Amino acid sequence: MNIRPESRFFPAPPTCYNFACLTGNHNPKLIYRMSITKTPKKTFPDWIRQPWPSGDVFSEVKSLLGDLKLHSVCQSAHCPNQSECWGRKTATFMVMGNTCTRHCSYCAVNSGKPGELDQDEPANIAEAVRRLGLKHTVITSVTRDDLTDGGAQHIADTIYAIKKVMPDTTIEVLVQDFDGNREDIALVQAAQPEIFSHNIETVERVFSRIRDRRFTYAQSLDVLRTAKELSQGHFIKSAFMLGCGETDEEIRQTLIDLKEAGCDSVSIGQYLQPTPKHHAVEAYIPPEQFKVYEALAYELGFGFAVAGPFVRSSYRSEALLDSEYAKKRKEIHSDAD
Amino acid sequence: MQIEVCLPSLGDDDDAVKGGTISEWLVEVGSPMAEGDDLLELTTDKAAFVLPAPQRGTLVERKVNEGDDVAVGDVICIIEV
Repeated sequence: MNIRPESRFFPAPPTCYNFACLTGNHNPKLIYRMSITKTPKKTFPDWIRQPWPSGDVFSEVKSLLGDLKLHSVCQSAHCPNQSECWGRKTATFMVMGNTCTRHCSYCAVNSGKPGELDQDEPANIAEAVRRLGLKHTVITSVTRDDLTDGGAQHIADTIYAIKKVMPDTTIEVLVQDFDGNREDIALVQAAQPEIFSHNIETVERVFSRIRDRRFTYAQSLDVLRTAKELSQGHFIKSAFMLGCGETDEEIRQTLIDLKEAGCDSVSIGQYLQPTPKHHAVEAYIPPEQFKVYEALAYELGFGFAVAGPFVRSSYRSEALLDSEYAKKRKEIHSDAD
Repeated sequence: MQIEVCLPSLGDDDDAVKGGTISEWLVEVGSPMAEGDDLLELTTDKAAFVLPAPQRGTLVERKVNEGDDVAVGDVICIIEV
C-alpha cells in the first residue's frame, strides 16, 4: 500500500484504486490520499514518523508493568508515542484486563470475553505510580458490559488507591459510556479524578461506521453532560480522530456539540490503522491543518485544546492541569470558597 | 569489540507490536555513527519508526535488507564499538 501526495486536480494513475475521501474543505494540496498499488508495503507521509522505543528509562517502565502484571493502552493500542511517553516515565494504565466486550473497527484492543477482575489491580497500579514517582497519571479501561456497574467501582477504587499512596498525584480517567448509566458515572466522579474523559472518537456521520453499535454519538454526549453535572469543579474532556472521512463542517459541529455537552478540553489526533483488518485511513491530515482545528476549538470556547498528528487522548494529559486556563479556574474556585 | 543490535521489544503484553518492515537503511556499511543517530527506518501498520543506534561505533554488517520483515529480538546489524 502506498500513500502519495496528490491533489484533487491530479487524479491517481489508473493502476491505483483510490478510496480516499476528499470531501469537505480540507486543503486538497495538503492531504495525502491513500491508494492501493502493486507495492504491498506501507509508506507514510514524512510527519507520521516516530522513534522506535528503546533506552534505559523505557526498559524500566516496561519491566515495571511486567512485574506488576499491568496492562497499558500504549502497548495494546500500538501507540506510536510509546517511546516518548515511556521515556518520560509516563504510561496510560489500562485496567480490567486487555479484552474488551465491544468491537470498534478502528481499535487494536482485543474483543472477546474478559477474565475476572483482578482485585489487586488498584493497589498494583498505585504501586506502579509510586515506583515511577508520577505527578500525574492516566487510567483507562476496556469496556466491561459483563459487569453490572461496567467496572465503575473498580475504576473508582483505582483512583482511591493512588490517592492514598500518592495524594498529590493528579489523575485523568478515560472511561467508556457505561450505557449512559448515571449511577456508574457517579461512582467514578465520587472518586474525584482531576480530569474525567470520555471520547466521542469521531463525527456523528462516521460514528456508526467505526464504533461498536452499542455506542451512540448522542449517548456519548450525554455521558459527558452527566459527568459535568456530577463534577466537583474538575475538568471534563473528550477527544476525536481525523482521517476517517469527516469534513471540516462536521469537525466544527463535533466541537460545538462537545462544548455544549460541557467539555472544558478537547484533543484531536490522526487516526492510524493498527492492522490491515481495521478501518482504513482515508486521509492523513498535515500538522498545519491540525493547528487550524486547534485554533477553532479555542475560538469555540474550549479552555484547553490540543491537536496534532500524534495527539492521543491521553498524550501529555498533564498539560491541561498545567495550563493557564487551569490556573485561572483554580483562582476562580478559590475566590468562590 | 563487535556487538549485535537487536530490534528492541515494545512490551510483554501479548498484543504489543511484534515487529515491522525495514523501509530504509540510514547508515552505510563502514560508516561511523554516534549513539542515538538514526540507524534505519521501519514501518508497522500504524506508522514509520526510526531505530536509533544503541552505541557509538561503526556499522560492520547489515543482517536485514530493505523490504524484510523483522520481529522484535531479531538481529538487525553488527556494529564495532
